[in-house]
Amino acid sequence: MDIVCINIYDLLNAIKQVREWKSINASGVCMKEILRMENITKKFGEVYANKDINLTIMEGEVHTLLGENGAGKSTLMNILIGLYQPTRGDIYRYGEKVKIDSPSRAVKLGLGMVHQHFMLVEAMTVFENIILGVSNDKSIFIKRDAIKKEIIALAAKYSLDIEIDKEITEISVGAQQRVEILKALYRGAEVLILDEPTAALTDIEVEGLFRIIRKLTAEKKSVIFISHKMREVLEISDQITILRGGRTIATLAKENTDASELANLMIGKELVTCEHEKVTETKENIISLENVSFNKKSKHSGIRDITLAVGKGEILGIAGVDGNGQSQLAQMVTGVISPDHGEVLLHAKKIAKFIPGYFIAAGVSHIPEDRNKMGLIGAMSVKENLVLKRLEKPEISLGKGLFLKKPAMAKCAGDMKDKYDIRCESIEQETRNLSGGNQQKIILARELEENPDLLVAVHPTRGLDVGATRFVHEKMLDSRDKGCGVLLISADFDEILKLSDRIAVMFEGQIVGVYPGKNPPIKEISLAMAGKQMGQGD
Amino acid sequence: MNTKNNFIKIAVPIIAIICSFLVGAILIACIGGNPIEAFSYLFRGAFGTASNISDTFVKATPLIFTGLAATFAYRCGVFNLGAEGQFVMGAVASIWISTTLTGIPAPLQLVISIVGGAIAGGLWGVIPGILKITRGLNEMIVSIMLNYVAILFMGYLYSGPLREGSVPQTASVTARLARLFSPIRIPAGIIIALVLAAVIYYYLFYTSSGFKLRTVGLNRTAAEYNGFPVKKLILISFIVSGAIAGIGGSVELHGTQFRLMSGFGEGYGFDGVAIALIGQLNPIGTVLVAYLFAVLRKGATTMQVGTGLPTSVIDIIQALVIVFAVAGSAFVNLPKIRQVFTNLTGKSKKEGK
Repeated sequence: MDIVCINIYDLLNAIKQVREWKSINASGVCMKEILRMENITKKFGEVYANKDINLTIMEGEVHTLLGENGAGKSTLMNILIGLYQPTRGDIYRYGEKVKIDSPSRAVKLGLGMVHQHFMLVEAMTVFENIILGVSNDKSIFIKRDAIKKEIIALAAKYSLDIEIDKEITEISVGAQQRVEILKALYRGAEVLILDEPTAALTDIEVEGLFRIIRKLTAEKKSVIFISHKMREVLEISDQITILRGGRTIATLAKENTDASELANLMIGKELVTCEHEKVTETKENIISLENVSFNKKSKHSGIRDITLAVGKGEILGIAGVDGNGQSQLAQMVTGVISPDHGEVLLHAKKIAKFIPGYFIAAGVSHIPEDRNKMGLIGAMSVKENLVLKRLEKPEISLGKGLFLKKPAMAKCAGDMKDKYDIRCESIEQETRNLSGGNQQKIILARELEENPDLLVAVHPTRGLDVGATRFVHEKMLDSRDKGCGVLLISADFDEILKLSDRIAVMFEGQIVGVYPGKNPPIKEISLAMAGKQMGQGD
Repeated sequence: MNTKNNFIKIAVPIIAIICSFLVGAILIACIGGNPIEAFSYLFRGAFGTASNISDTFVKATPLIFTGLAATFAYRCGVFNLGAEGQFVMGAVASIWISTTLTGIPAPLQLVISIVGGAIAGGLWGVIPGILKITRGLNEMIVSIMLNYVAILFMGYLYSGPLREGSVPQTASVTARLARLFSPIRIPAGIIIALVLAAVIYYYLFYTSSGFKLRTVGLNRTAAEYNGFPVKKLILISFIVSGAIAGIGGSVELHGTQFRLMSGFGEGYGFDGVAIALIGQLNPIGTVLVAYLFAVLRKGATTMQVGTGLPTSVIDIIQALVIVFAVAGSAFVNLPKIRQVFTNLTGKSKKEGK
């Protein structure tokens, strides 16, 4: 039955492709096919990461690949840029069959990719990153000035706002992305693949990115846009191809579809929106910051005179563009860094020493922003990561950790694995081999099983698919209802709006406004995130 | 998954040893020897008689200590390349205790001397530790430099204040570690080493403190975020690592050399690092690899006498073990090879997204 369905889909796709090949777009120009992937299949061991995928890219279109994590989007793109070889299937460039056996071959064919995690050398300048590894002339010396002029002209052509002589570490995430795009364009990319480009950006930056994308398509460049954010997909795409379980489910034109259809096709079932009450008032403060400052001079990695409190049983959302001091705020309320000025009160007691261990003992749990670097020990097993914080608890150790009861440890970890639906081969598996969603669930299990008084969650659903995201949200709401105060820091504005009982906006290290979570003034908040007040320009 | 990893961890050193013996055999054949004859002399030298077996244990003892010292530090993510210096300082403390603290029963003197050796080694180990956590100095460089300080200090002692007679060497210690269980006569030193290995194994894998120490070694940032006292654990690892090497020096003095002289402890520090790496940073593995190295060294002399082949052939085999083991570890970490292993275990299926 399954096979029959797929064949029908293939057939429909084929018909559609024929139609598209001949299709005439709105402006009356015949659109040219510039790239086609046919029956691409990629097998990893016994697992099909991609199975008979068909994809056709037209000149000057934005083609979205939509799918949950693990749907096969990344594998497909890695095949396209020559990192993987397909087990079966062909790639055609301008109708001509090509073999892409290396990334440099992909570059020669005009395919450029901006990875989700940028591939930039942080200690080098923007200019050096762009010219890294390319030479357009045979000279052994780098003609800095000439090349620089060329790059600046290219940037101007696509309105890419960059500071060419700054080091990568000095520029914001959005600017780094522009550098990546420029890098690809400088190498002559005709087809630009953007892998989850909006994951790290907020609304304002996303708008900027979309302007750039439109400029690119106007110049007859094509963009393959990978995302699972419905709103953005509908805004920017011309064509949308939905992948699920490694197969092409459908290719639709934007005009002929809507969000709910896409969501259904993407997850294969109806998406139930989670409904919950927002808390409007709280009694006591769990943690409060009074005029706290840290590294005041820095706009992107400092905190300036913040006064803020998280109450019992509420979710305080911190909205803002990434890199406006949110990381430092999270590190401060978990004891990783200590403030230069001001006071932090935990349970109404002033904190003298900023040590993570002290905060943990006082009931602070932390879902850190970088789960691999700060949260998990990748080379350790699922079991060991789960019990990390309970080593001295009597149920798994004798004499406060003098002897660890291995069977009890395994049982404890097994229970947590079941409760939090962590999917792994066994609890002995190394965590670095798990998918992002399951890794995040391990952290969630470990942190929430402590029954914290305060949960500091930083980008808790970054990179997670719809199902895992909902799971994380539910667990956070549960702990809120149990009386835990939650400080939610997220670059995903939708997430902030959905979960927060109060919303505070951070801009250049300051809190520029606090808004109610119930019926939030969205326009006002977005403006605040961009550092503007209502009525002060658009 | 974990059983697979354990399999790789055991397989890599074993394959490395087999490969190096094969290459060694080719080498012996090339210089006109008979590999089978050479290896049979080698093993006869190591195991042929009770006295040979005993001597092999003697050779293994210091290697086990320095190997364990390296293992312990590596487990916490720091590189103690100063085991040799700590080994020497342990012996220096012991000789000082043994020559000044006379007039008490020998066993008591022995215990005090070994404890003194541990303290001296620990103090020598804590210097790079403190410099690292307070000033950020590279522990590798500091600990290597301290090796020279320790060796030259020892040289000053045996040619100056503690010199006995015309030869530059110290007086010999009176309290000596016995050889137990006649007729094999197992040296007491190796028993101390084995007990220590067991204790370290227990500490690393069965106590919360050891767990935390390993966590610091694998991901220091995450350890800090999870509230572990990172700096304290790093310091502990330096002290303990130094103390292990210090005990090694003390045991070597009381069990084998009996006096300090030129060349005491030479090379043991770096041998220990290699042994720890081939032993996959596991105390038990370290003991086994140290023993293998001792077999090679003990057998080499017999082989030279029996076949006329130079002992350097065995040095080459020993070096090849290191090369193959390191290459093997790197090899199994290649993405494509990992893939093959994943496929081999078969049941990977869908991990479930």
